[in-house]
Amino acid sequence: MKQALDLYGTLLRVAIAGNIQYRAAGMVWMLGMVIEPVIYLVVWSAVADSRGESVAGYDARDFAAYYLTFFVLHHLTFTWIMEVFQYRVQQGSLSFELLRPIHPIYADIADNVAYKLVMLVVMIPAAVVIALAFEPRFQPVGWSLALLPIAVVLAFFTRFFLEWGLAMSAFWTTRTTAVNRTYYSIYLFLSGRAAPIALLPAWLSGVAEHLPFYAMIGFPVELALGKLSPERALSGLGVQLVWTLFALGFVAMVWRRAVRRFSAVGG
Amino acid sequence: MNALRLLWVFARVGAMGELAYRANFWLQLLESFLAMGSTLGVVAVVVSQTDSLHGWQPAELVAVVGVYFAILGTINLVIAPSLSQFMQDVREGTLDFTLTKPEDAQLLVSVSNVHVFKLIDVVFGLAVLALATARLGTEVGPVQALAFASALLLGAAIVYSFWIALATMAFWFIRLENVLMIFWMVYGAGRWPLGIYPDWMRWGLTLLVPVAFAVTVPAEALTGRLDAATLGGAALVASFALAGSRLFWRRGLRQYSGASA
Amino acid sequence: MAAPEPNADAPAIRVRALSKTFDVPVRAAGLRSALTSIVKRKTRAVEAVREVSLEVAAGEIVGFLGPNGAGKTTTLKMLAGLLHPSAGQAHVLGFVPQDRQKAFLRQITLVMGQRNQLLWDIPVEDSFERNRAIYRIAPADYRRTVDELSDLLDLGELLDKPVRNLSLGERMKCEVAAALLHTPRILFLDEPTIGLDVTMQRRIREFVADYNRRTGASVLLTSHYMADVEALCKRVVVIHHGRILYDGALSELVQRFASHKTLNLELEEGDEGAGTDLSRYGEVVSSGAGRASLRIPKAETPATTARLLSELPVKDLTVEDPPIEEVIERVFSAEAE
Repeated sequence: MKQALDLYGTLLRVAIAGNIQYRAAGMVWMLGMVIEPVIYLVVWSAVADSRGESVAGYDARDFAAYYLTFFVLHHLTFTWIMEVFQYRVQQGSLSFELLRPIHPIYADIADNVAYKLVMLVVMIPAAVVIALAFEPRFQPVGWSLALLPIAVVLAFFTRFFLEWGLAMSAFWTTRTTAVNRTYYSIYLFLSGRAAPIALLPAWLSGVAEHLPFYAMIGFPVELALGKLSPERALSGLGVQLVWTLFALGFVAMVWRRAVRRFSAVGG
Repeated sequence: MNALRLLWVFARVGAMGELAYRANFWLQLLESFLAMGSTLGVVAVVVSQTDSLHGWQPAELVAVVGVYFAILGTINLVIAPSLSQFMQDVREGTLDFTLTKPEDAQLLVSVSNVHVFKLIDVVFGLAVLALATARLGTEVGPVQALAFASALLLGAAIVYSFWIALATMAFWFIRLENVLMIFWMVYGAGRWPLGIYPDWMRWGLTLLVPVAFAVTVPAEALTGRLDAATLGGAALVASFALAGSRLFWRRGLRQYSGASA
Repeated sequence: MAAPEPNADAPAIRVRALSKTFDVPVRAAGLRSALTSIVKRKTRAVEAVREVSLEVAAGEIVGFLGPNGAGKTTTLKMLAGLLHPSAGQAHVLGFVPQDRQKAFLRQITLVMGQRNQLLWDIPVEDSFERNRAIYRIAPADYRRTVDELSDLLDLGELLDKPVRNLSLGERMKCEVAAALLHTPRILFLDEPTIGLDVTMQRRIREFVADYNRRTGASVLLTSHYMADVEALCKRVVVIHHGRILYDGALSELVQRFASHKTLNLELEEGDEGAGTDLSRYGEVVSSGAGRASLRIPKAETPATTARLLSELPVKDLTVEDPPIEEVIERVFSAEAE
């Protein structure tokens, strides 16, 4: 346990130093992460305005709350593993990492957490600007907020494990771009990014509710806004738990195979 | 004409390079298909909730997406790859080879690299645009077609000037990739008509990153929203942008050769 | 803008008191100075080239020698029109280089051994094709030149390979060919053989010499390899700290600056100079197994040789000039003193 803490402490310190070093690049990423939700926010506010009434229970200020929360929770849960892996495979450093005594996922988690800590400096002002510009309306519900931390942690791990596992597929196929693009296209609709999933056609939102994409971000956002009934909140947490375990098993399996393949082929 | 001649030679050479990796064609096809599919998908979700967005009907929104992709493809076809090549050349000192060539240096760096497979985006964009226009059912008369073509050309000229100005900064600053990334992120706002954005964003999208001129103005031309004043304004902006970026480029080149020192 | 007609008798390159000063930003370490430097940039003037004057005749091959940072490449770049001189004038083929007139650029070429202009991912011949278009070479001329060059440089099967699949030497041969497609009259070669193996170096050298013979083009060459300079250049220009230290024949450089000669001795069997202290005669560079090398001041060479022959059982004795690298090094250290 002590060793594990030491390992994480060291990894985190190195990662924070690295992230401060590349703060310019980090800020640009951040800007990108502000712009996209803002575009969707503007679009949906315009829709609400055009209809002159709320859309599936959201008016313009509800959308503002939805996308502001989305922005914050996305920052807490997103990963860039899939882009990074492609690069790692091209550079050949993936094979190298397979030989290290510690699982590379530790360093990745540390790096992710470090980035998020460093970027809070930019993220908080960005969130304030969005809030001032779009005047979100929050109607928080106590029990719902209390469950939020659990939902965020589950969301983080679901996403992290799933994307890490998918990214590992780069080891078998060199066409990772195709995998990534397809993944993000599905994610765009089924996670609640393009629109709250309640706005999708009924059959699609019914499917989406049970898939990991919604568990990764749409569900925690709706939970934070108090949009969910207790039953749906609990079933949502259940879905998250199932996907986290699934993703964990997925990573473990992919990793074992990668190591076996590597030692067989020898890189 | 000289520009077109060189562009043709470079495109041919670039095409031969890319055709060697035929798998990339399929990859690009999938990529373009997914990008176009998801953008149209979002439009579909939006129009399932409303008949018109700030006065833009569904088919008109689709037309905007078409223009967006046509311009996006054009940037990725020649402007972006050439100018990233240029920035790399400045960093690595290989720009010297370009500067010892008996041809205008700005022209050479602007067309030096052509990614032909990006034409798929242009084709997709134009196809979607054609479908949307057919769906609109409005007569696209010769005047409108001409206005659209000129608006598109002016938009491309403004975007090009913007890029060359950005790239010219490489003479002073080494790392510009981040600045270019900002362009891409902001350009994504052009998938929607500019009218839906709040005023302060609209200014940014018109002046800081010329999304308005690149996408919305041509789309307005096609959907009969464009007045002569806006088109004239676009022409004025385009001329200033071209001339200004040219001057800036010369200034950068003087900096590079130490002429001012 | 009338292009000046080059006069056949005029020197191909004429340089008068050419200088280049760079403003290099200086910044002390630390956050404070980082912040002040945003407002007020401090710069320091670095004189890379100081009042260089020289003339190069048509058809001449001149080698530029000097340590890193001596100003060789800066001079070359000014002559190729890439850098504006801070003072002085240069005329190349009657043109002012920094005006970068097309007629001028069409007649020069630049090869940099450490950088390539060929496109990485596409076959060599496609890169050639690009240059054909840029220089507007007539198809018939182009075909003939390519055939000639591939003959001379043995490019044959390299032409349809992508550049990334070529070895360094093969790539350099193609680089040189690409730079000569438009049959330039002035060649600026900056370290053209750097990193190549000995055979390939010789190959490139022979080719340059041959091109110079056939076309009468002038060649300005910088190189770290003395073999390049010895093989190609009758005339060398030694530059150090931006100044010309020597401009003249290579042979005379050795005469003028070599202060020592090397004596190689071979002694009779059995008597390996045992008990003899060779350092009495001069600085011992190496000795053992009946052989020895001594470094003797030039003026004392005859006397020392005579002494050695009379006092020791010498089987063989040769007198050599020191290697040219050593001479050059001496020129630089002499200047520093």
